[in-house]
Amino acid sequence: MTCVHVITHGNRALYEESIQQFFRLRHQVFVEERGWSGLRRFDGFEIDAYDNEYAIYLLAIDDGRVVGGQRLYPTLLPHMISEVFPKMVQRGVPQAADIFEWTRYFVVKERRTGRTDCRLLAAMQEFCLEEGISEVTAVVEMWWLPRWQQAGFKVRPLGLPQTIDEQPCIAAAVEISEASLDHVRRLAGLRGASLIRHGRTSRPIHRVPHAVA
Amino acid sequence: MSQSSFDHAIEAFGFIERLENIPNIQGVIDEMSKSLSIFGFENFIITGLPNLKERFDQVVLLKKWPIGWFEIYTKKDYVRSDPVIRLCRNTVQPFEWSEAPYDREGDPRAAEVMDRATDFRMKNGFCLPIHGINGYEACLSMSGINLDLSSRTKPALHLMAMYAFERTRQLLDPLPCRRTDLLTPREREALMWAAAGKSAADTGDILGITERTVTAHIASACQKLNATNKTQAVARAMQYKLIQI
Repeated sequence: MTCVHVITHGNRALYEESIQQFFRLRHQVFVEERGWSGLRRFDGFEIDAYDNEYAIYLLAIDDGRVVGGQRLYPTLLPHMISEVFPKMVQRGVPQAADIFEWTRYFVVKERRTGRTDCRLLAAMQEFCLEEGISEVTAVVEMWWLPRWQQAGFKVRPLGLPQTIDEQPCIAAAVEISEASLDHVRRLAGLRGASLIRHGRTSRPIHRVPHAVA
Repeated sequence: MSQSSFDHAIEAFGFIERLENIPNIQGVIDEMSKSLSIFGFENFIITGLPNLKERFDQVVLLKKWPIGWFEIYTKKDYVRSDPVIRLCRNTVQPFEWSEAPYDREGDPRAAEVMDRATDFRMKNGFCLPIHGINGYEACLSMSGINLDLSSRTKPALHLMAMYAFERTRQLLDPLPCRRTDLLTPREREALMWAAAGKSAADTGDILGITERTVTAHIASACQKLNATNKTQAVARAMQYKLIQI
């Protein structure tokens, strides 16, 4: 059965194999399938500057196999929207201790028609609620918008769509709420909590150095 | 950012904020009429894409269309040959009507739809496909004669369309739609694995449930799909796009 595992700097040692799978899948999905050629690497692992000690991964793992994943990163630190995509934002880059950036979301091809999508979306809401995170920001292809909205997510655009690699993309903020979590769970017939925390996952919201704010 | 794209951003954000407080479908239609007319649009429709068993008028969510055109379109079942609808099923990107391909010689029905639309001032158009969760497919299509469609206006229209669709969906609550409500997630998963050649026992192992439960899910899916066996259930589920492999 598929469960979503919380992996932070504190317990990463327990998940080294899964994290390596995640990096390799990211290369398959984002570079080979979606054509984000700027991320191409010869070793077939997609790893960037934000895969550091502040990154939090929520990975859907089924019997040792990673079938989907996503990454959260503090917006008080330089992050993708502030460093790479500031032009996508016309209303100011949201930066606060309780706002995280949500990146590298994907589900492996053979699981895209099942519940894995909703499971990951629910896991993101659930994790953020537990950690006191109020909002996540992301740059995504426009076709994500109706999917999020149908999952019950409240989405606020941060700017107009702009074309990246020939795809209309948008910077947006997604509100974290019990209502959204309930909605996406209901949609997929998921009952109750599904996050797994092994070892010490620490309180990410308190780990960001105050100096950078 | 240029002054005009800044204006478009303000226009789009204002539209999105106003939509949130609109309590009914007529209000959404009025707001869309006003805001889209700035770009030259006279008519628009938000509709689901009908499967083989659905009639067009059953899947329309809202519309501002000339009455005569809706009557003809429904009566002639144009939705089955409309090149705009066809392209909608195959792309997630917005497109202008003129970009929807059809063969005028080999596909006279498609040509007829596009030609007759112009009789109702629906000469040019812009269409925003929506591919939602669980395979729900819909679109917002808008049209007029003198359209302000450019790389500056399209992003604003794209964003406005997504929110117009969402507000409409909330108000009507067609949720991921009756089509996808038809099967439970477990029933779909069981059929998907059957489509991938797995036995009920294999599927049970994969999903972490018993073989008996898998068989029960498949039997229930058969019943809902009016299928006599697993093979037919898989075929129908794929036909209705309830599962994909």
